[in-house]
Order: sequence, then structure tokens, then C-alpha cells
Amino acid sequence: MSRENPTPAPGARRGPTPPPLTGDPILRTVSRAVFALVILFALLLLWRGHNAPGGGFIAGLMTACALILHRIAYGHSALRLDPARLVPWGLALSFLTGLVPYLLGRPFLKSDYGYLTTALTGKFEWASALLFDLGVYLVVVGASLAIAYGLAEVNPQERVEDDQ
Amino acid sequence: MTLAVFLPFLLAALCAGLGPRLGRRTGYVAALAFVPALLLAGPLSAMPGAVPALEVTRWVPTLDLALAFRGDGFSLLFAVLVGVIGTLASLYAVAYLSERERFGRFYSYLLLFGGSMLGLVLSDNLIALFGFWELTSVTSFLLIGLWHTRSAARDGAVKAFLVSALGGLGLLAAVAMIGIAGGSTSLSGLNLEALRASPLFTPALLLVLLAAFTKSAQLPFHLWLPTAMEAPTPVSAFLHSATMVKAGVVLVAKFGLLFGSSPLWGGIIVPVGLATLVWGAWIALRQTDLKALLAYSTVSQLGLLMSLYGLADAEGNFAATAHLLNHAAFKAALFFVVGIIDHETGTREIPLLGGLRKALPLTFAAALLASLSMAGVPPLGGFISKELFYEAMLHQGPVFIAVAVLGSALTFAYSFRLLRVFWGPRRHPAGVQPHEAPPGLLLPAGLLTLGALAFGLLPGSVEALTRTAQNALDFATYTSHLSLWHGVTPALLATLLTWGLGAVLIWQAGRVAILGRRLTPRVNANTVYYALTEGVNVLSSRLIARTQGLALPDQLRLMLGAAALIAGYAVWRAPQVFHPIGTPPLALLPVAALLVAGAVGVLLARSRLTAVVVTGLTGFGSAAAFLGLRAPDLALTQLLVEAVTVILYLLAFRYLPRGGDLPRARWRLRLDLLLAASMGLGATLLVLAGVRFLAPPISPYYLENSYELAGGRNVVNVLLVDFRGFDTLGEIVVVGTVALAVLALVRLGKGGRPRPEASAPPPSPETPPAPPRIKEET
Repeated sequence: MSRENPTPAPGARRGPTPPPLTGDPILRTVSRAVFALVILFALLLLWRGHNAPGGGFIAGLMTACALILHRIAYGHSALRLDPARLVPWGLALSFLTGLVPYLLGRPFLKSDYGYLTTALTGKFEWASALLFDLGVYLVVVGASLAIAYGLAEVNPQERVEDDQ
Repeated sequence: MTLAVFLPFLLAALCAGLGPRLGRRTGYVAALAFVPALLLAGPLSAMPGAVPALEVTRWVPTLDLALAFRGDGFSLLFAVLVGVIGTLASLYAVAYLSERERFGRFYSYLLLFGGSMLGLVLSDNLIALFGFWELTSVTSFLLIGLWHTRSAARDGAVKAFLVSALGGLGLLAAVAMIGIAGGSTSLSGLNLEALRASPLFTPALLLVLLAAFTKSAQLPFHLWLPTAMEAPTPVSAFLHSATMVKAGVVLVAKFGLLFGSSPLWGGIIVPVGLATLVWGAWIALRQTDLKALLAYSTVSQLGLLMSLYGLADAEGNFAATAHLLNHAAFKAALFFVVGIIDHETGTREIPLLGGLRKALPLTFAAALLASLSMAGVPPLGGFISKELFYEAMLHQGPVFIAVAVLGSALTFAYSFRLLRVFWGPRRHPAGVQPHEAPPGLLLPAGLLTLGALAFGLLPGSVEALTRTAQNALDFATYTSHLSLWHGVTPALLATLLTWGLGAVLIWQAGRVAILGRRLTPRVNANTVYYALTEGVNVLSSRLIARTQGLALPDQLRLMLGAAALIAGYAVWRAPQVFHPIGTPPLALLPVAALLVAGAVGVLLARSRLTAVVVTGLTGFGSAAAFLGLRAPDLALTQLLVEAVTVILYLLAFRYLPRGGDLPRARWRLRLDLLLAASMGLGATLLVLAGVRFLAPPISPYYLENSYELAGGRNVVNVLLVDFRGFDTLGEIVVVGTVALAVLALVRLGKGGRPRPEASAPPPSPETPPAPPRIKEET
């Protein structure tokens, strides 16, 4: 990774402070093991949300948890872009999925669904609501990560003494 | 018509993107946006007889809201006018603006404004009309504040917005009242008898007047229009001649059909209009800045138009429509001329300029004709419409005609004052050599001046145009004709008197100026405005200092106390029926115990970390309860929210002072206990009162239909993404906004957002640390 968190030189007053547990070897190992699993599970939640418990909001929170864990463990973000940028894209996606049925003369945000049968997957349902959910997912990931990263990056004016 | 309204909006987006690439040539693209509006001249020419076309685009049928555009004679006439001036302003700006201007921004604002103005004049739906009305306020705010680095521009924009938004609120209420009383939201489909008989009639009338007066800068709301001249000159020409300020006039003209029957309507508008005519002209006469002179002249002319439309009879409507056309022609031309003078000499101050006639002969010709039209001198259009104005005022009574003559004499005087920069010895700021403007600047001014001339020399032309509006504004029975010479009538005598008075004013200019200085009132609309805004600022900052400056625990106490009071009040006012909530499943009892234990644990916790962990107990307990009540979706969400909350808590901990620093006096503990108890009691009662299944539950509908209609077996998810998808959309907007707000807060004091590129140099320890920038930047 090119973006290593610069460790603050003694006496330097500015620059990001590493979150409390950064560099902890146990946390690093656990995070590495768990990260992909959590993301996969989040995507599964997103996918099956239409028919079983799950959905964009939950999946988004779960993804955010995985990314924050990674961030705390390693000190840099696994996401290569500013998470705040996900928010407008997610909003746009959700809005567009709503707009398309409206332009086709149906109520705003009316979802559509159907079934596809392929040799590999068998009978399988698609729903336009998934796109809407994807937008929700992006917004939730972006917003919660932006807040968490913002808090992690800020240079505190006042510290708890027994911290670190 | 729908296209004419929407093309400017579409091209505005395009121009915003093209601006940086095309530079000033974006103006040619912008001019294209007004082509459909110009093409409305086709249906307009068929107008006195043709049936008005109605184009309806469905929007929100359940609210009776549709984009209905109705092309009657008046709205088409106005739309074409907006199109003409809009095209000319776009083209003029190509030559006028400097190379460093942000063209994308400028032209997209201009087009957004033009589009909303077209929507406003063509709209037949009351709610859409209000929407376009507010859009003109917002876009003119953007236009006036275009050069937002100048404080005068910011002040002008804010002032314009505050004043016209005040009227906008009035219009919203009026539109609602008219819709309720008239039984329709369609302007042409209103039930006029029901409306006139309704008790809402008078309040609606007054609110419409408030809207019209604020928008059209009538006394005492005229303060915003002169400061609106901070906008670039092409914008001023557009704003002042055809559009923004005439929105109020359009409203009065259109709603005259609804409210004209009431004596209150004309009884308020006509005096206010005439007072504005005189007062605006009087202030215009005292200006030294050419553009300020024109701005006050617009205030004054709007007063004239208002007083005519306010009569709401055939004669007034006819005269007003004729003058509307004349005013658009000469006022836009004059703004263009002033723009040329500013462009060539670098100043607009009358005392600094003189003898420009030789350097700018063509500009001088345009200025001469346009000012003479404004002064009401034959053979120009302004003369004819002024005669009509006098005719109408003569029928109203001697006081009216006297005021009208006084106002017109002042108009006459300031028109000549404007021309003074072309006469006399040659004078202009050192270092500039004024020479004739490029054709791009001259052509728009010239075309409009020729229009003013044609209106005078061929009175039939303006009459034909005026006649197109006759059915829409109900003066079809009006038979008088326009002509330059209509015999020696009282109106002509009044005109001669006007010229005499005007000549005296010009001759005694020095004494008039002294008189003007002496008569300047100490309190005027501007001082009142600044006193008000200042007062609001002081009040709010005091309020904030009193409430937000408290320690965090005190703020929380205030909030909780207020919540407890409100909850208690609600329960006390509501019928105190607590229905049995049924027997909760026994399996939930341990969970309930866990929740209570968590709540008590927080109170006992001595360290912050313990408190957070124990709070988590209640959160996870709620998740368990959701699971027990067979709501797996909610349980999942609650679990994850808990996890994220704990993370955020931990991150925020680093900035908090150590717990236990705050003094814990005994009385404070008692107060807290009391607050907590009353808050808990209030919340419990509120929940209990809320658990009343009086109406049949709606959940079976979703259970039955979610699979049929939306193809999902997870009812909660189907609810979120389909049945109530709009709510979800709103919620994610809230989530995004909150994230942005938190980012803004936590990044306060950092020098900008962190760069995502790896190439950003790490902060070197040698550079001295920048001081924290948390101080207010006001």
C-alpha cells in the first residue's frame, strides 16, 4: 500500500493521529481474516434482501463495519476513494431507478420484477428494486464511513490523559 | 410551449458544462434556448381570434398539480417578449463580458432564469405558477450575486431574495386560498362566483398584492431593485425590462380577472402604483450613476404599469399592455447603451462623463431615441402609451391626473439627465479613448431602439400586438385606436403641461438637487431593512449565546425537560384511554429485564467506557426483543447500528475530557433524577396512549400484496423499496446530509479536505504549524 499512515514525529503537533489500536498485531490478523468474509456476507445480504431479511441499509452498515475495522487495524483505508463521494452516486442511482418508471408512465419508484431461467442458476428472480437498494447501500456506506473516517482523522485539541 | 419552458433548463445544464470550453461563445448556445419562445410568435399572430392552446404535462395528479401551459394572447405576448430580450441579452453578453468571466455559471443562471420566467407567464396551474415564481426569485438571487466576491453584490442578492421571498410566501398562501375557494388549481378553470363569495377572497387578494408589490418593487418594497444592479449589465437589462420585475405586473394583470371586481383591488394598487411612479422618478433624478438612474426609473415605470393594470378595466388593460411593450423596448435598449458607455469609458458616473456624442455616434442615436421614448416625446412609442395613461387617469379624477403629470414630468427630466453624458465638452476618465462599440454590443441596443421608433411611427404595429392580449385580459370591447395625433384632447394638454414642468426641472437642476438633498428622509426603506436584518442577527446571536453556550449536560437537561413537558401535555390533552396491550410473550421477560438492567447500569457506571458498554446492553437487548417479536429485519439492523455506534463512540472518546471532571452537587443529582423520572414517565405514557388499535391495521394489505405487486417475499424490504420508496429516498438524502454536516464539523480547523492522491507530500516537521482556524469567519 502506498498510503502508509505517517507516524507523527515527536513534537509535531499536526498530522493525523493514528486511531487507538492501529498496529495491534492481533487486530491486524483478525481483520485480515474477517474482512473478505464480512464483505461477502454484506453483499449476500444486499442480494437476498428482496425475499429474506437483509437489504441495502443493513448491508451498507455491515460493509462500513468491515472497512472501519480494517482502517483501525491498519491505519489506512481499504477504499481507494473518499467515501463521501459514494453518497451523491448512491443518491443518483436511487433517484434514477425511481425516475425510469415515472418516465415510462408508471408511479414514481414503482419497481418491476421478473424471472430468468439459465442453465447455471436455474430459475432466478431479478427485481429493479435491487438497483434502488444498491443506491441505499452506497449512501449508507459512504455516509457512515465519512463520519467514522472524519472522526479518526481529526486532530484532537484535547485528549484523554490515559489514552495511548 | 412546454418545450419553450424546458429548453432553457436543459440548455442551462449544457451551458454549465460547455462554459469552460467554449468561453464567451457559450452565449450563442444560450441564445438557442429562446428559439422555441420566439417561435411562439406564430400562435401569437393568430391570436385575437384563435382558441388558446393548453398543454398539460402530468406531474402529481393526486395534488392536482400539473405543468399546464396555456397560450392565451397575453401569456404568449409576454413569452415572446421574454424570448426576444433573452436572446438579445445572451448575444450582448458575448461581446460585453470579460474573458475572465465564468461563462458556464453566468449563462446557466441566465437560462434558468429565462426558463422560470417563461414558465411563470405561461403557467395555468396555480401551484406550478407559484413554483416558477419562486424559481425566478432564486435564480435572480444567483444572477445578482454573480460577482459574489463583492460585498455589494452579496448584499443586493440577499436583499432581493429576502424581499421577494417574503412575497413568495404570501403568494403560496394566496394560491392555496384561491384553490380552496375556487375549487380548482387551474387558473382558467376557477369558479369565479364561488371565489368571490368566499370569505377567503379578501385575504387572498391582500396576499396576492403583497407578492406582486414585493416582486415588482412597489413602495415600500422598492429597496431591492436598485441594489439588484450589481448584476452584470446584460442581466440588468433582462431583469429590469422584460422579466423578473414584471412578474408582479403579470400577476396583477392576470389576477385582475379574479379580483378586479373588488373595489379593494384597484383601491390599493392604483394609489400605490402612482406613489411609486412619483417617488421612483424623484429618486432617479438625483442619481449620479447611470445604472442607478435606470434602476430607479424602472421602479417608477413599474408603478405606472401597476396603476394601469390595477384599474382592471378595459381601458387600463389596453393602455398598460401598450406601455408594457414600449417599456420593454426602451428600457432594455437603455441598459444596453449604459453597458456600452461603461464598457468604453470604464465609468457610469454622470459627472465624470460628457460629450460622448462624437466618440460614440451610433450609441448616441440609440440612446437619444430610447430616452425620448422614455420621456414620452413624439413620434416615439412612449408618447402614445403615455397619452393612453393620461386618458385613463383623467377618467379617475383630478388627483390621479395631477400625480400622473408630476411623475411624468420627473420622468421627462431624468430622461434628459441621462442624455447629458453625450452633450457638452468632452469629458471622460483619463487614460481611456472611447470609440464606437463593436457590433455585438450595438446591434441589440439598435434593434430595440428601432422597435421603440416603429411603435411610434407605425402605431398600428403596437396596437396589433396589444390587441392580441384582448381576450385574455378582457378588453375585447375596447374600441379606441392608437395614433400619434388624436386631436387636442385633455390628455394632450396634460402632456404639454408635463413638458413645461419637465423643462423647468431641467432648467433649475441645481435648485432641484439642493431641494432633493434637503428632502431626503432620515428613515427610508433601506434603513428599515438594515435595522430589521441587524435586529434579527442580534436577537439570534443573543439567543444562541444564552442557550448553545451552556455546558453540554445543561443543554441535555433543557432538551429532556422540554421533551418531558411536551409528552406530558400531549398525554394530558389526548383522551386518556389506555387500551390493554395484550399479554406479551413470556419469552420476552428476560429480555425486558436485560433492558432495564442496562438502563440502571448506565446510571451506576463510574467510567465512560463502562457506560458505553452497558448502553450497548440495551441496544442488543432491543435487538433480541425484535427477534422475539419475529422481526428479523429490524433485529439485524439494530445489531449493526449498535456495532457502528460503539465504534463511533470509541472514536469520539479521544476528544472528550476525562469523565468525572464536572462537579456533582447534591441538588444537581436530585434535579437530574427528577428530570429522568419525568422524562421516563412522559415517554411511557405517550407510548401507552399511542398503542390504540382503533383503526384497522394496514399490515395485512402489505402481507397480501407485497409478493403479488412487487415480487418480494420480504415485506419489510418491499415496503422500503417499493410501497414507501419515496420515504426511503428521503431518508437516504437525510443520511447523506448528516454525513456532510458531521464532516464539516469535524474538519473544521483543518486546511481543506485530505487529498486522496498518494502524491500529496507528507507534512514536513520543519514547516511551522498553521494556527488552528476555528475562529469565526464573519
